[in-house]
Amino acid sequence: MILYLLKRLAVLLASTAVAAVAVFAFMAVLPGDPAEIALGVNATPDAVAELRKQFGTDRPAVAQFLDWAGGLLQGDFGTSYVTSSPIGPQIGDRLGVTLVLVLGGMVVALVLAVPLGTFAAVRHRDPLGAAISAASQLGIAIPAFLAGILLVFVFAVQAQALPSGGYVPIAESPGEWLRSLLLPWLSLGLVQGAVLTRYVRSAVLDVMREDYLRTARAKGRGSTGALWRHGLRNASIPVVTVLGLQLATLLIGAVVVERVFVIPGLGDLLLNGVAGRDLLLVQGVVMVLVAAVLLINFVVDVTYHLLDPRLR
Amino acid sequence: MLSVEGLTVRADATDLVHDVSFAIAPGERVGLIGESGSGKSLTALSLMGLLPEGVTAAGRARLGERDLVGVPESRIKGLRGDELSMVFQEPMTALNPLMRIGAQVTEVMTLHGRSRQEARARSAELLERVRLPEPAQIARAYPHQLSGGQRQRVMLAIALANEPRLLICDEPTTALDVTVQKQMLELIAEVAPALLFITHDLAVVASVCERVLVMYGGRVVESGPIREVFTRPRHRYTQGLLAASKLTPRGTRLPVIEGGVPAAGRFPGGCVFRNRCPHATPECETPPALTGDGHAFACWHPAD
Repeated sequence: MILYLLKRLAVLLASTAVAAVAVFAFMAVLPGDPAEIALGVNATPDAVAELRKQFGTDRPAVAQFLDWAGGLLQGDFGTSYVTSSPIGPQIGDRLGVTLVLVLGGMVVALVLAVPLGTFAAVRHRDPLGAAISAASQLGIAIPAFLAGILLVFVFAVQAQALPSGGYVPIAESPGEWLRSLLLPWLSLGLVQGAVLTRYVRSAVLDVMREDYLRTARAKGRGSTGALWRHGLRNASIPVVTVLGLQLATLLIGAVVVERVFVIPGLGDLLLNGVAGRDLLLVQGVVMVLVAAVLLINFVVDVTYHLLDPRLR
Repeated sequence: MLSVEGLTVRADATDLVHDVSFAIAPGERVGLIGESGSGKSLTALSLMGLLPEGVTAAGRARLGERDLVGVPESRIKGLRGDELSMVFQEPMTALNPLMRIGAQVTEVMTLHGRSRQEARARSAELLERVRLPEPAQIARAYPHQLSGGQRQRVMLAIALANEPRLLICDEPTTALDVTVQKQMLELIAEVAPALLFITHDLAVVASVCERVLVMYGGRVVESGPIREVFTRPRHRYTQGLLAASKLTPRGTRLPVIEGGVPAAGRFPGGCVFRNRCPHATPECETPPALTGDGHAFACWHPAD
């Protein structure tokens, strides 16, 4: 197990390093010179050259990359060419908001999907089980931003119960913080929950047909007890795979939902960076998103090993 | 001890097992033989209350004073694994892959009221009793680390854990290598309290059991002491089955029973075997009853 952990950790570090090269290279080949952007169309070539020197963008790409990557290792994302403010703290603040948004959405999805999916599997011959399947099918067809808009319409515009957007930091008012996040959580979580419900259902259905569940009943467990004690952990293995993929999807989905609900998260920062042609900021945010996806995959793989002794 | 009367197993409107009656005395070893699709496994599963979804049993089956058929799961599950236990055909998938062997053996004891400590101590004894080498090491292993034969021994240890009154084995050696088969059979014959042994292998039945029930088309067509049934089969199906299993001189064709086992619900009315029987007459359109003391058979034209 420890050996596997070390190996997998090495893979994580290596893939993050490769990702850093890829992100840097991609941004480098994009047209647009930060110095030209900063000075506008009427700048003299001398002024541009001067600014390039100041930014350090006149140096060879390799030197620039090593400088940037070395900074990353110390948590330094560089200084914005546009706003002249350090990028690291901005990303840090925004990352916290996005994490809360994504994890909250995931919790909503899990709380919905695990009981509903299991119930739909156990009662797969009943109309109620079929109804859950049908409802989850409908949920899959709705994209998160549309769910967000519908939720705003119902809860904010019609019922006037929740704010339609905006974000209140938890330090300011925990109650308002919760109210401001409820609809975003739901719009992310409902859709993901619908997808997850189907996976949970099929995983539990598969497990219910397994011989070892019959063995458990032959030992004297009832069918519910057998499923609880022997089934759910087995069913969780395929679900963890989907969960990992979904977390990555949620991270991307958050970019859109942050727009809909005017939440100052990473997605909002990214779009602002793109709009303001803040290349270094965009580079930093993309790097953080890529690293997060790699980290999620790492956690999923390690979880597999914890769950399934056959892999050890 | 076990008495089964008029057991019928049904899926939708089709009778898969029809009006089966037999009894097993304490310490008795009874074989249940027949081709695939004859209803052997369903008979066993209905006694355990483990029939698949959509399949139901009717009739009477009692273990001692307790009813096994037609009672809700909550009442029968206390018997399962305690007074009545079962070893299944497929050892590779019968154990939970995520759980250590030791935990799977102790579970059946703690479920029926033993303390955790006692169960743990006893599980080591049980693993030794089914002749697994290094029981302590086996207890810490996961199922995938054991061979098929070892896993089947673990299943047997689980089945024996609470000293059941009756052990049901459903083709327990079919999935094993021939060499392992023999050891397993000897072990079962040695440790089983009373035994209902399901197989399609006549030699296996002859080596393990004292009495045999021959099933065809969901009915018991012949029953009696092994020696009598095997040396002097009366039902034409049993006769065919025995002829087909004998070694024949080189150069002669293997004797077979003509035709194949019909699909469930497609058996003829009257004697279920009459469409494959060389001796069938119009009389066979009336169902024959299972008659005879000791050695009983259901046939209008028995062999002598």
